[in-house]
Amino acid sequence: MSWKRIKAIMLHEFFITKRSLEVINDIIIFPLLSIIIFGFLTNYLSGTTGLIISKQVLIGMILWQVINMTEYSIAVGCLWDVWARNLTNIFISPISNLEYLIAYTISGCVKSLIVLLFGGIISFYFFGTNLLDLGIINLIIYFVNLAFFGFGFAIVILGLIFRFGTNVQALSWGLIAVLQPLMAVIYPVSILPKPLQMMAYLLPPTYVFEAARANVIDKGIQWQLILMAFFLNFIFIFLAITFFNFMFNQSKKTGQFARLEG
Amino acid sequence: MAVLQIKNLTKQFGSFTAVNNISFDLKEGEILGLLGPNGAGKTTTIQMLLGITTPNSGSIRYFDKDFSTNRQECLRTINYTSAFNALQGRTTVWENLIVFANLYLVDDPKKKILKLVDYFEIKNLLNSQYKHLSSGEKTRVNFIKALLNDPKVILMDEPTASLDPDIADKTLSLIEQIKQDNKISILYTSHNMNEIDRICDRVIFLSNGKIVAEDTPINLTKKIETTTLRLTFDKGKEIIEKYLTENKQEFEFSKDNIVIIKTKEKLVPKIIFGISSEGIWMTDIEIQKPTLEDVFLQISRSK
Repeated sequence: MSWKRIKAIMLHEFFITKRSLEVINDIIIFPLLSIIIFGFLTNYLSGTTGLIISKQVLIGMILWQVINMTEYSIAVGCLWDVWARNLTNIFISPISNLEYLIAYTISGCVKSLIVLLFGGIISFYFFGTNLLDLGIINLIIYFVNLAFFGFGFAIVILGLIFRFGTNVQALSWGLIAVLQPLMAVIYPVSILPKPLQMMAYLLPPTYVFEAARANVIDKGIQWQLILMAFFLNFIFIFLAITFFNFMFNQSKKTGQFARLEG
Repeated sequence: MAVLQIKNLTKQFGSFTAVNNISFDLKEGEILGLLGPNGAGKTTTIQMLLGITTPNSGSIRYFDKDFSTNRQECLRTINYTSAFNALQGRTTVWENLIVFANLYLVDDPKKKILKLVDYFEIKNLLNSQYKHLSSGEKTRVNFIKALLNDPKVILMDEPTASLDPDIADKTLSLIEQIKQDNKISILYTSHNMNEIDRICDRVIFLSNGKIVAEDTPINLTKKIETTTLRLTFDKGKEIIEKYLTENKQEFEFSKDNIVIIKTKEKLVPKIIFGISSEGIWMTDIEIQKPTLEDVFLQISRSK
């Protein structure tokens, strides 16, 4: 594994990002707008539901951006090269799949941290919710778990794009939103109907959001929930990597990979 | 010495066989042309040689190392350029090149890029976005990308497609220059027979996924015996017609004073002398020897 090659891909993504208004919109403006909208909503709700629930909703929405950003960074980052007909050039260089994915994961984590930082500042100064009240250690544990899940989800989507082509590219920015209601980002799992609760508990982020909500009330680490999130994440990542490798190899066998660029 | 050895390479897509058990070598410092009609298997072959399509069977060896088990090592010593791929359009030429220089672990990437942009005379374009370049400029940048890692082998898939004749000619000169200066082996696909004739040392014809002919361009054209002789004359159409009929030549009059004769190359002097001896005054003589295009058409149409 070469750090220089990982750095090259990160540099490549930085160059694209700084020249693409739509990317800046997707990774900075849109997430921050979501936080601001939910900030006003929680201000409004705090009158009827109380301050705790309002804080839980806003913190859930801020943490959600970690999954969103990591997933977006990897899946859409790759699509920029498909659209530019540059993906072949990258994959015929001596870069390995692992180096490529690590580069985009680091880049996704950096973007998530930026959103988390600005989201935290906005929520603190404008809506009176301090993200640091969760505790630094808790925050790091939540971040790692959510970024793990975002990474796993992104490589599943990438696997699908490599295998079935750009016909399914919309999944890279759309499918994660379908799972959002199941992950109980801004409400407790108990709100969901029973069958959906069972599905919700199969998803690692559900435990993170549950732990974060509990954290708003009590600052202790919710070990049971956190360990469950880590456990499910490891299974999920293992399955996601296996799926990605299978789809990538299938894509090269069927010739779809070479046809990706049209 | 062969820098690339391909043995019994086969690729099937379902029931369709795109590449059917082909074997060939690319020698050091050689430009090998891969020719064939659409769907012959040229691009699939290139894709397998780059590792972006997996063969069903057969082996690919670069510098005597198996490509499937030494992928990264092999990719470090080869590169690729094609009219059908591009670099990232949103970023500048410099940004694109610095990324690829780092991907290929080039020592002192800045020095290398500056040396190559000087060589290709595009230093003024370094800060331009790739998408704003003309086709000719893009081709030069693609060539720089393909030379960043000092490759020993370059695969070129129709690099001059979509270029105007002037830029295509300059590109071919660049390829000749690159080969001369860097002793690189090149596998070159194109539909343009003049290009192949000009730059390739050897040619492989693919048809329906199989190699149907393999030789130097000159030797391939020698396999077609028919030469076209076009004579323009002052008067005496009937005399010429009688002479050619008596000598059992295939001919037609495109105008009253122009005759086109298809004959064997060795009979050309005899025919010219014979017609002249009949008292015919020829104002123009044009001999069209078989070209690689004729070979291509003959092979394509015979399948």
